[in-house]
Amino acid sequence: MAFLLRRAQAALFTIACVMLMLFVLVRSVPGDMASIMLGPRATPELRARIVAEMGLDQNIFTQLWLFLTRVVRGDFGEDVISRRPIFDIVAEVLPNTLILAGTALFLSLVFGILLGLIAAKSRGSWADSLLGLLSVAFVSTPSLVVSIVLLLLFSRALHWFPVAGVGDSGDVLDQLAHLVLPATALALGWIGYIARLVRAALLETLTEHHIRTLRAYGVPEWRIAGIYALRLALVPLVSILGIGLGDLIGSAVFAELIFARPGIGSLIFNSIAVRNYPVVQAAVLIIVLIYILANMAVDLINSRLDPRIARALREGRQA
Amino acid sequence: MSVAVSNLSVDYRGHGPDLHAVRDVSFVIPPGKMLGLVGESGSGKSTVAFALMGLLQANARIISGDMQIGGRSYDLTKNATAPLRGHGLAMIFQDPLLSLNPVFTIGAHLIEILRVAAPGESAGRRRAMAEEALAKVKLTDPRRRLDQYPHELSGGMRQRVVIAMALLAKPVLLIADEPTTALDVTVEASVMREICALRDELNCSVLLITHSLGLVTKYCDDMAVLYAGEMLEQGPARAIQRRPGHPYSRLLLDCEVAIDQPRREPAMANSFKVIGGELPDLRRPVSGCVFAARCDRAVADCAVTVPSAVRLDEEGRHKARCLRIGAS
Repeated sequence: MAFLLRRAQAALFTIACVMLMLFVLVRSVPGDMASIMLGPRATPELRARIVAEMGLDQNIFTQLWLFLTRVVRGDFGEDVISRRPIFDIVAEVLPNTLILAGTALFLSLVFGILLGLIAAKSRGSWADSLLGLLSVAFVSTPSLVVSIVLLLLFSRALHWFPVAGVGDSGDVLDQLAHLVLPATALALGWIGYIARLVRAALLETLTEHHIRTLRAYGVPEWRIAGIYALRLALVPLVSILGIGLGDLIGSAVFAELIFARPGIGSLIFNSIAVRNYPVVQAAVLIIVLIYILANMAVDLINSRLDPRIARALREGRQA
Repeated sequence: MSVAVSNLSVDYRGHGPDLHAVRDVSFVIPPGKMLGLVGESGSGKSTVAFALMGLLQANARIISGDMQIGGRSYDLTKNATAPLRGHGLAMIFQDPLLSLNPVFTIGAHLIEILRVAAPGESAGRRRAMAEEALAKVKLTDPRRRLDQYPHELSGGMRQRVVIAMALLAKPVLLIADEPTTALDVTVEASVMREICALRDELNCSVLLITHSLGLVTKYCDDMAVLYAGEMLEQGPARAIQRRPGHPYSRLLLDCEVAIDQPRREPAMANSFKVIGGELPDLRRPVSGCVFAARCDRAVADCAVTVPSAVRLDEEGRHKARCLRIGAS
C-alpha cells in the first residue's frame, strides 16, 4: 500500500512536469495561434473572440494556472472550432487507439515469446539463425514503412483487408478486419524485439542450476523451458512492456494516419496541424496517464512473477 | 536392487585433442549401501555423477559404459538412463542456494517431481505427499513451507527440500554431489543424517561424491578413490582408512586433519600435509601409473607399466591398482 502511495506521488510529479513542458513548448512555437487556427480569411473580430476564449491575451503563468486548475477538476474546456467539450473529442477516439495498441501488444507478446522459445530451444540450428535474421529485420523496419507495404500488398493488390477506417460500429468482424493490418504493422517490430529478448533471457536461465535440478528429476524439457525458465525470463520482458505500450501508442500516429483510423494519434497530428493546442494538451495528458498506469502495472505484474521483487518493493528498495 | 557401473569412460571435447576425463571406471553399490567417491578437484568425480544421470555438458561424450540396475543393463553411451531420471535415479546437488527455482514455491517444486514420480495421483494427494516428504526430512511447519519461496529458507533447509524431492522420486540410485560443501559444519551432520535416513527408508544405493574423507569414513560403507579419471583403489571404507593399499589413498588420508584420534603416522605438529605436484594433462595419453609422477614410492617401472588391480582381502572387495603393493 505504501508502495502504491509512493508511486502515485511520483506519477503526479511526472504529470506536472510533462504538462509544464508541453505548455511551454506549444507556446514557444512561432506564429500567432489564433491566426493559424482560423486561416487567412479570419476577420479581426473572430480573431479577437478566439483569443479571448482561449485566454491567449493573459500572461503565460495565468494561462498555465487556469489550465492546471481546470484539469484537476477533469475539465479540459471546450473546443473553439467544433464547440464540443474537448474531453468528449478525446474520449471518442481513445478506445480506437487503445484497441489498436492493445492488439499490437497482444500480438507482439504471443508471437515474440513463441519465436523466442523456438529460437532458444533450437539454438545454433538453421531455425535459430532464420529467426534471428527475421527478428533483426522486424526490429529495424519502421512501422511507417510496414504500414504502407501492408496496405499496398494486402489491401490494394490482394483485397484481403479493408483499406481505411475502423469498421462499422456494432460489427465486430468488420472491426477486426480493419484492425489486422495496422495492428500487425505496429506489432512487427516488437515481435522481433521480444523474440530476441526472450531468447537471450531463456538461454541464460536454462544454464542455471535449478533448471539442472528439474532435469535430474525427469521433468519434461518443454515444461522446463515453457514454465520454469520462461517465468524467470519474463521478468525482464515485463519491465520493458511499460515502455513498449508507450512506444506503441506513439507509433500508432503513423498507423492511424496511413490507415485513416480515428484515434489519439491522428487526433494529435490533426490538432497540431491547425494549432488546436487545448486538444493536443488533453490528448497528451491522457497518453501520459496511460503510460504511467502501464508502468505501475508492470511493477505489480513483476512482483507477482518474482516474489523477490515483491519483497524488495515492500521494503522500499529499488528492485 | 544392486547398482553396478562398468567401464565408464568420458571424453571432453575442446580446443586441441580430447580430454580423457574419466577412464574405465567401474563400481558396485549394493542396495541400502553408500559408496563414497573421493578425489581432488578435477579428478572426474562429478563427471562420473553427471554421466550416470545423462546430464553431461554438450561437449562431453561417453565413450563406453554400462549401468546395471537389478539385472537390467543400460547403455550409458546411448544415454539410456535418461528416462530413469525422477524415479530410478535422483540427485542432490552441491549448492542448495542455486538448486531451486527462485520464482516457484517449495510446493511447486515437489509437486512437479510428483508429476514424474507419481503420475496417477490427484493434485490434492500430491500436495499431501509433498507435505509428508517435508515432514520426513524434519522441516518444521511443512504445510507453511509448501507456500514459501526458496529465498525464505536457509541453505540447510533448502538442501532438505532437495532431499525431500529425492525422497518423492523413490530412486534406486541416489547421487549426492558434494551435498554439504556449501553448508557450514553444523548443518553438514544433519543433512548427512537425512541422506542416510532416506537411504534406509528406500533401501536404495547412494553414491556420495565428496572430497572430504572424513565424511566418507563416517557415513559410507564403501569408498572409491578417483585420481585423474582413474579408479586407484576401492573397498570397504573402514579397511581403506585402516590400511590404505594405494600410496595416493595413504597420502590423501594423511592430508586430513585428524581431530579425534591419533593417526598411525602422526602428522607433523602444526603443519598441514599436502601432496606435491599437479594432476597430469589428460589430453595426452597416460603411460604407466597415472599417479607415478607425484608418488613417493614410485620406481622406474611405475612410469611404464600400467598397474592392474591387486586384491587386498579374502573376498576381493578391497582392491588397489599399484605395482608396489607387497614390495617393501
